[in-house]
Amino acid sequence: MDREWNDSQPIYRQLRDRVVAMILDGVLREGDPLPSVRTVAAEYRVNPLTVLKGYQQLVDEQLVESRRGRGMFINAGARELLLLGERQKFLAEQWPRIHATIQRLGLTPQELLEAATPPSSNAKQEPPKP
Amino acid sequence: MKSLRSMLFVVLMSLSVVASSQTEGPKSEAQRSFDYLKSLAGSWEGYLTTFPQADTKTELMHATLRVTSMGTALVHEMRGDGPDDPITMLYMDGDRLLLTHYCDAGNRPRMVGKMLPDGKTVEFDFLDVAGSTQHGHMQHAVFTVIDANHHTEDWTYLMPGDKPVRAHLELQRTK
Repeated sequence: MDREWNDSQPIYRQLRDRVVAMILDGVLREGDPLPSVRTVAAEYRVNPLTVLKGYQQLVDEQLVESRRGRGMFINAGARELLLLGERQKFLAEQWPRIHATIQRLGLTPQELLEAATPPSSNAKQEPPKP
Repeated sequence: MKSLRSMLFVVLMSLSVVASSQTEGPKSEAQRSFDYLKSLAGSWEGYLTTFPQADTKTELMHATLRVTSMGTALVHEMRGDGPDDPITMLYMDGDRLLLTHYCDAGNRPRMVGKMLPDGKTVEFDFLDVAGSTQHGHMQHAVFTVIDANHHTEDWTYLMPGDKPVRAHLELQRTK
């Protein structure tokens, strides 16, 4: 995890977002333990209460469960739950703006797909130069 | 003649002091609570336990309490290495003891304090909040003086959806 924080939202929300990104990226898998509040607070130089708030947010979202005396663990189905939520959030909040821009610029699906293809793939598709 | 003047001066000064003390009257319970908390001025360190959490204790925490503004305010700072260390101001507002917490969540809740019957604990209950509560806010605080060199603090934060998380600090005076 990055040690840098920004001023756009409380650190506990940024901490929550980073754990979410790690779950979505498969860095944290179902059943994996989260590092302890103590460890995160010391490692990232934040107040332990801030870490606790971030973890509690994950518990409230049913992504993480607290096992008494053992710590916090990623719930079964956490990634699917997150994907569902993040997809809905993308479609509701970001896609309308992106779609409006696409319409405004008159971009075709083909152009968008080509732009989304990694450069290395594009290079492979190009015919060899004489 | 000179000694008579001196005696008159002393008598008038004495009367003035008596009148002044009668005007001030007895201190309110809130003022006594505030004075009691001022005895915590100094530097402290100790361990923090969080609820609900599996951790028992965290790393060593530091806190300072400082009387300032001619004794009208007590500044509380929870000290760490990060940018999220909160500041809390305790002060009298008329006959109320108030606490304003400057939270990293971007808001400033106020709480009203009262001394509990045990005579050692001052409890602060939520009054109102300035700023957005989108990310929750501090709701409750308790200061318990054990002796001149030991005290505990309990801070309760309400998450969005009103779920509480609590931090318990056991502190020992270092200065």
